[in-house]
Amino acid sequence: MNAIPIPGTQRSITPAGGIVWGVLVLLTVMSAIVRPGLFIDQVIGGLVYGLVLVLIALGLSIVLGLLGIVNFAHGALFMLGAYFTFQLMEVWGVSFWVTLVVAPLGVGLVGVAIERGVLRHLYDKNPLNGLLATFGIALMLGEATRAIWGGTPRSVVAPQVLSMGFDLGVTTVSRIRLFTVAVAVIVIAAVYLLIERTDFGLSVRAGVLDREMAEFLGVNMNVRFISMFVLGAAIAGLGGVLRGAAVGMDVGMANQFIILAFVVAVVGGIGSLFGSVVAGLLIGGASYLTPLYLSTLAEVTTLEFINIPGIGGLVPYLVMIVVLLARPRGLFGQEGFLE
Amino acid sequence: MSETDTSTTERADTGDAQTAALGSTGLTKRFGGIVAVDDVDLAVPEGELRAIIGPNGAGKTTLFNVLTHALAPTDGTVYLHGEEITDLPQEQRPHRGLARSFQSNQLFNELSVLENVRVVVQTIESGPFSFDLLGEGRSQHREQALDILDSVGLTDKRDVTAKNLSHGDQRRLGIAMALATDPSVLLLDEPTSGLGTNETGLVTDLIESVHQDLGLTLLLIEHDMDIVLSISDRVTVLDQGRVLATGTPDEVRGDSEVQEAYLGGMREEL
Amino acid sequence: MSDESATNRTGGGLVSGLPLGTLNRYKVPIGALLLVLLLRPLVSMEFLLGYGSVANTILIWMLFAASFNLLLGYTGLLSFGHAMFLGIGAYVTAIGLSRFSSSFVLSAIVALALAGVVAYLIGRITVQKGEIYFAMLTLAFGTTAHFIANYNPAGLTGGTTGIAGGAVPAWIETERGLKYVNLGGFQFDWYWLVAAAVLVGLVVLWQIVRSPFGRTLIAIRENKELARAMGINTYRYKVWAFTLSGVVAAYAGTILEINEQGATLSLLTVETSGDVILMTVLGGANYFFGPVAGAFVWLFAEDYLTDFEMLVLPLKEIPIVSLELAGVLAYWQFFLGLLFVIAVLIAPREGIWGLLRDSLETLYDRLRTGEEDV
Repeated sequence: MNAIPIPGTQRSITPAGGIVWGVLVLLTVMSAIVRPGLFIDQVIGGLVYGLVLVLIALGLSIVLGLLGIVNFAHGALFMLGAYFTFQLMEVWGVSFWVTLVVAPLGVGLVGVAIERGVLRHLYDKNPLNGLLATFGIALMLGEATRAIWGGTPRSVVAPQVLSMGFDLGVTTVSRIRLFTVAVAVIVIAAVYLLIERTDFGLSVRAGVLDREMAEFLGVNMNVRFISMFVLGAAIAGLGGVLRGAAVGMDVGMANQFIILAFVVAVVGGIGSLFGSVVAGLLIGGASYLTPLYLSTLAEVTTLEFINIPGIGGLVPYLVMIVVLLARPRGLFGQEGFLE
Repeated sequence: MSETDTSTTERADTGDAQTAALGSTGLTKRFGGIVAVDDVDLAVPEGELRAIIGPNGAGKTTLFNVLTHALAPTDGTVYLHGEEITDLPQEQRPHRGLARSFQSNQLFNELSVLENVRVVVQTIESGPFSFDLLGEGRSQHREQALDILDSVGLTDKRDVTAKNLSHGDQRRLGIAMALATDPSVLLLDEPTSGLGTNETGLVTDLIESVHQDLGLTLLLIEHDMDIVLSISDRVTVLDQGRVLATGTPDEVRGDSEVQEAYLGGMREEL
Repeated sequence: MSDESATNRTGGGLVSGLPLGTLNRYKVPIGALLLVLLLRPLVSMEFLLGYGSVANTILIWMLFAASFNLLLGYTGLLSFGHAMFLGIGAYVTAIGLSRFSSSFVLSAIVALALAGVVAYLIGRITVQKGEIYFAMLTLAFGTTAHFIANYNPAGLTGGTTGIAGGAVPAWIETERGLKYVNLGGFQFDWYWLVAAAVLVGLVVLWQIVRSPFGRTLIAIRENKELARAMGINTYRYKVWAFTLSGVVAAYAGTILEINEQGATLSLLTVETSGDVILMTVLGGANYFFGPVAGAFVWLFAEDYLTDFEMLVLPLKEIPIVSLELAGVLAYWQFFLGLLFVIAVLIAPREGIWGLLRDSLETLYDRLRTGEEDV
């Protein structure tokens, strides 16, 4: 069937695409009308979750796109950020604001150890080796965390100013969620500027394209590789701080989030930072809105079976399967990357 | 050497791509903004040994990649013995008689020399896919593989793991594997690059004997001009993806455009 | 027969030094036979694990890991969702037995058929993607399988609790905690049926690997670009490798179903898929017995080390040095993880089995050259 032009723009949409968009808009409007409070909750929930996913996926994408290493331990770094937060705040009594800076740095240090100890031996080898080695490191970090802090879930007490709610009329939003959004957006913007707009970022990108040439021109790639990995680790750690402070932590979060981060990176297109951002928000939003859409639909049509419990957890995988089948490189992926 | 009248060297190939053993018309490969292979017309007649030469980066290997469909062409057609094969998948081509060797010594590294060849023989005999789960493999495949190893002079190394071979032996193994596909047209990508004098001689002799004894049509990417001049029937010169000239080695040698491309005006080497 | 040892590393140069060519050719089936005969007596020994029923689990996991290695070691595909086929084997059998009062054999056949179909379909869409994408897609499918089982459609899969009741075939009896097989009055220990079944599975895998099909897989693993250039349709080979490996994994699942008397969600988790990867790589993906060794080490460690309290050297009776290790070894996975990382860095395809073989070969050579006349 032929594509239908969208009036006012240069683009067009296939009938199938149009139907999908139409259904989504309809569901959004319905949910907003039927349960406005819940709708706002879910939108914000999706936004927060999505941005945390972006923070982790960004680090993963940087490491993968710039260094060619698939870092399975990235979820463990995220988890360490949360546990460092616990250690700093609950055990050592450090304030949240200091922790917000110190914990990611600590995770960055762990990143240095991983990079120097393990990763630098794997740079030009088969990418599977990097995946396997970091898989082992993730296991080690998980066990170490369990050994040090125990297997039961932990939580921290957020500072006063962030624990209060923010009244939006139909619902209240906890301030810590808004804070998470703000911090995440700032950090993501900063990373983007660093990589795309600074000379340092330029030298890193050049080095990835042609390492020999860059080194020949005097660029110290070792320093850059380490710093990029540390940056990725620290961002993941920061995500852990935010998540840990808002929701708490447990040893399972490493596995849970690394898989999600991979999904986001892959859906967005490996090597594309912009793709990670879009994919993270897409998946975050979909994870939170799909259960809402389904329950609204179930309510409206009185077909209870539509309301599948726990579907939110499966959404990222379904999205990934669909995207990879339709666009094998992900939404914004670059040609030839790991293909 | 005086300048030969450039009209005796053709820009494009004489002869019809469709009657040649291997031919192409307008073959093009673009990567984004870069044109690696630019409107190449080729017609290599049956039994000819055609050398493909050109400065580094001229697109010679890319041409081979497109001819074997390791890369899909952006434009143009490829003919094998008159049949159009432009979109024929890579793995089908050896079964039609088009084979190649690689510049970078592509081998089944952890397998023995014999097994490297045997698995190719098995593939050619049984087809691109064979769900044969019984037994261990036909003994005749093994026999044929041994014969091929014999013809390239690697019999005594048959149990050596491929990655442990010397450079020259690896080259000969690569050629052996290409021969194991029982080709009618063979593409050899810089078979003597990186080899010492001795090994170069061995490989060159092998190529010549393959050409003469088996009557194969050969395309040879070469940088070593001595070899080009001594064994090739005709030469095609590529520069920046385009065919500059086609002709006998002597004709091409004297062509001013070719000299320009290689030497930028200096003619001492030719 | 020497080209076989380079091709698929099914045993050792050690054995090829022996004069018996036939022994060398069949070293895998012979080794597998010895393994299944000796594992339980070995493991039951006091100073090892002290009890025998764990041998069942170890054997089943060895087969599961070997099926996984058909993909990783022999074809070069890293799947993060292999647990799904183990789960299909166990769940479909359990469903057949408990929900449909069907016979074990029929249920098992349906399980294998379903696993084959699912593996074929998933294989067709995933094998040609790049390695990382393939790993992620298999992970996604595995998670979906877990989700479906948890969702308990039509009450078939039992949700979080799995299937526990009425899922044992009639010919299995339990007396004082030990399982027996009772066929028409003839009663024998369940272990021997597991042993026979696992032996059959291992021999089937061995045959697949040494066949022309298997040898082509190995070529694909070695250099897939070259394989395509030489006329091999790598896509179809990979799809079938994926299918066969899924079917064998499901076969292991059916045996597991009887052993565990049901099916639980834990069979379908990412952890299970991850465990089999760890075992296989740790054991050595290049060798047929690599994953077998890896499964043994992993499960043995799990059982042995978690109860470890004191390390006494050299013997309990003659204590010279003793270390309080109770706390530390509960985190044995940390140490095995470390070993795993080291293995990946130094010898990613060799693993424990590879290193063991190499050191035994060196030892054997040294002994031999000591005797040989020049």
